[in-house]
Amino acid sequence: MKKMSRREFLRFIAISLGAVTFDRFLTACGLPPTSAPPTSVPTAIPTTITAATSTAPASTSAAMETQEASATPFTKPDLAVARGGEPEEMVRRAVAAFGGLETFVPKGARVVVKPNICVAYHTYEYAATTNPWVVGTLVKLAYEAGASSVQVFDFPFGGSAQEAYARSGIEEQVKAAGGEMMPIQGFKFISAEVTQGVDLKRTNAFKDALDADVLIDVPIAKHHGSARLTLGMKNLMGLIQDRGAIHQNLGQRIADLATLFRPRLTVVDAVRILMNHGPSGGNLDDVKKLDTVIVSPDIVAADSYATTLFGLQPGDIAYIAAATKMGLGNSDLSSLRIEEIAVGG
Amino acid sequence: MSDLIAENKPQLRKKREDRAGGWVLARKITQYLMLAIFLVFFLMTKRDGWSPELVNIPMRLDPLLMLANLLASRTFRIASTLGLLTVLLTLVFGRAWCGWICPLGTTLDIFSFRRTRGKRQPPPEGLRNVKYALLIAVLVAALFGNLTLLALDPLTLLFRSLAVTVFPALNQAITVTETALFQVPFLSDAVATFDMWIRPGLLPAEPLYFRDVILFAGIFVGVIALNLYAPRFWCRYLCPLGGLLGLLSRVALFRREVSEPCKGCALCTSACPTGTIDPARNYASDPAECTMCMECLEPCPRSLIRFTPGFSLAEGQDYDPDRRETLVTFGLTLAALALVRSNNFAKREPPFLIRPPGAREVNDDVLDLTKCIRCAECIRACPTNALQPAAFEAGLVGFGSPVLVPRLGYCDFSCNTCGQVCPVEAIPPLSLEEKQQRVIGKAYIDESRCIAWSDHQECLVCEEMCPIPEKAIQMEEQDVWGPNNTVVKVKLPHVLRDSCIGCGICEYKCPVSGESAIRIYVPQTPVPF
Repeated sequence: MKKMSRREFLRFIAISLGAVTFDRFLTACGLPPTSAPPTSVPTAIPTTITAATSTAPASTSAAMETQEASATPFTKPDLAVARGGEPEEMVRRAVAAFGGLETFVPKGARVVVKPNICVAYHTYEYAATTNPWVVGTLVKLAYEAGASSVQVFDFPFGGSAQEAYARSGIEEQVKAAGGEMMPIQGFKFISAEVTQGVDLKRTNAFKDALDADVLIDVPIAKHHGSARLTLGMKNLMGLIQDRGAIHQNLGQRIADLATLFRPRLTVVDAVRILMNHGPSGGNLDDVKKLDTVIVSPDIVAADSYATTLFGLQPGDIAYIAAATKMGLGNSDLSSLRIEEIAVGG
Repeated sequence: MSDLIAENKPQLRKKREDRAGGWVLARKITQYLMLAIFLVFFLMTKRDGWSPELVNIPMRLDPLLMLANLLASRTFRIASTLGLLTVLLTLVFGRAWCGWICPLGTTLDIFSFRRTRGKRQPPPEGLRNVKYALLIAVLVAALFGNLTLLALDPLTLLFRSLAVTVFPALNQAITVTETALFQVPFLSDAVATFDMWIRPGLLPAEPLYFRDVILFAGIFVGVIALNLYAPRFWCRYLCPLGGLLGLLSRVALFRREVSEPCKGCALCTSACPTGTIDPARNYASDPAECTMCMECLEPCPRSLIRFTPGFSLAEGQDYDPDRRETLVTFGLTLAALALVRSNNFAKREPPFLIRPPGAREVNDDVLDLTKCIRCAECIRACPTNALQPAAFEAGLVGFGSPVLVPRLGYCDFSCNTCGQVCPVEAIPPLSLEEKQQRVIGKAYIDESRCIAWSDHQECLVCEEMCPIPEKAIQMEEQDVWGPNNTVVKVKLPHVLRDSCIGCGICEYKCPVSGESAIRIYVPQTPVPF
């Protein structure tokens, strides 16, 4: 190599310094994680959190509807259950019991629908993933209510998101309804403070879910080894990065997660439920066809009702017990106003 | 100097490019096109990528890989005959493969270090026979069922280097840039959209990690760095495929001829990238070394160089392997093979050497190393980053072969890609249903480190993750001794050995730090008596 002249040496130094400065600039724009999320995350949450905390726990759903209450001519239920029809019809009828999705989705809202697409292994008949038509109908309803965008995503633990979206059949129905299947992008996980968390204080959460105006939680009701059942609150685990860190004291931490995401509406898909060997399933003998859809703005109430499909009590599920204790919703089924809807005879 | 000559003979003044009649340009275009195709095939060697029949074409065009595979496995596969095309090409045009097609050759041309190298003296001519020695070693070893040296084939070398070093590093660089730019408020959306374009279409959705990445990068960088001593050092002196094609070129139809009245300006000698134009031999070249690159056409002030057809055997060179050297190489290879066979792994394989699905059953023993050409296509295609190239953990005999490392990635229950992309069926092409039943190992629980067994805390991650429909891990509530002689009830995981297929998702997801508390091992390997 030939000797470096002074000019070249200086140029080299200048370029290096430039690169370092540029790097610093980028870092500065990013802000360290300890300061950035508190400024950005709470702005995404407060409306729902304050709405929830400023009212009595038992009437969370009522509180959310106060702005609409004067206009509605009938008493809204706390929870609606539709049975015995096609998934689309059941979802439409159950949501209609609350005055339609307009009740929950303001015009121009950015809506996120979060189904359970936990593995890429099986098609929807195996009841490991949410029924595609239930998801598709919610996408349609959100657009009919005037949503500006509807995004659908989940972060599978087995197999790639791309593969899971396709195999579950959800991608097809969501796209047909005009929704967007969002890939899980690593850089979108931002450190979020769980201000109301009892045990879980901070977690890396998916930004699009935090930023959404309306989050609709669409779990499938199924068996789960450690949590016993995976329902609405458990389904929120698909929105965080480090699920491994949640697995100790699972019940409390799932309830803590529910305070972070605060879905506006929970739609439990019980068209098919998985009775055993969840969450991944794979055996049709474990699947029971119930043709049931449960809808409630109160995630605790929706989950509580769903436990009865398995012959369990709400108190049997640790995260429901923890959420009730925290006042996140009502798990006392006898005190809920439940509207039963028989679809198609 | 060329200007001087041109001034003296104005009637010969011709632009350099014109003297080559567009051949050099045509070669360069072909080279870059071939490299581009190779890279596109590389990118499309993946799950839901292009058809394996298509992306496997480069490996199958390589006659050295196909011949060695045939010798070692003693299995004739019709697709391997594609390599005869290259043989045919060589019989007509000499080592045109090296000069026009080989993607590693083109890479070496791009990183030629022409300026840095300066007028350094090239290594002695005698070094050229190393590639023949390597060729003999590859073929003799293959005859005895060993394909380790195919890791030095130019195509596998490049593909493996791309898959294990260049691609993951590039992906890291892009990921870091994206993450940094995503923090800039007005760029967030642009970054997210850009990312949706490139992932998972071109780049993997999640970062890739490889063991021994420094070793594999070092080999690649080393091959390129040899250019500092001589242009295309690798192709001149070391490449075993170059050796094979060089031997064939000795009877090739087209030859480089220098006609009268050559004045011996030696401009062609210094232009030749393989340094084979010898002034002492009237500026003739050795067809076994000439890559038909046409670079010598440009400097020749009188345009006296022609590539013409003619039947003859090329004259021998001092560096050609003579009988004695061939026999010595033969003997040394046998000695080396004997040594490799004396490695302890030949008796007992390491218990954690998990092979891709189906690979073990084929030989009811181990991955069929007599078939594996070390091309790393399975490693590139594995969507979960579970397959890793073996460095030395599989013994020297297994260098470069795929190993499944569950702690880095699990075998996706919904995927059978590796067997599909393997160009030589060293990993059998299983259907998804078959693959889901293939046992690649068994899980066992390290009870002294398991959170449930040792800490008596509830943790059921392994059971939750198990993809087997009836679950190969079951939780059983048991009474165990807790602190201060108390009895506590804990749910403890148990592996149902009959159901476990060893996919390793439990090992991958186990929250215990470092080595997993549930591990996949190979329960039985046959031991020779």
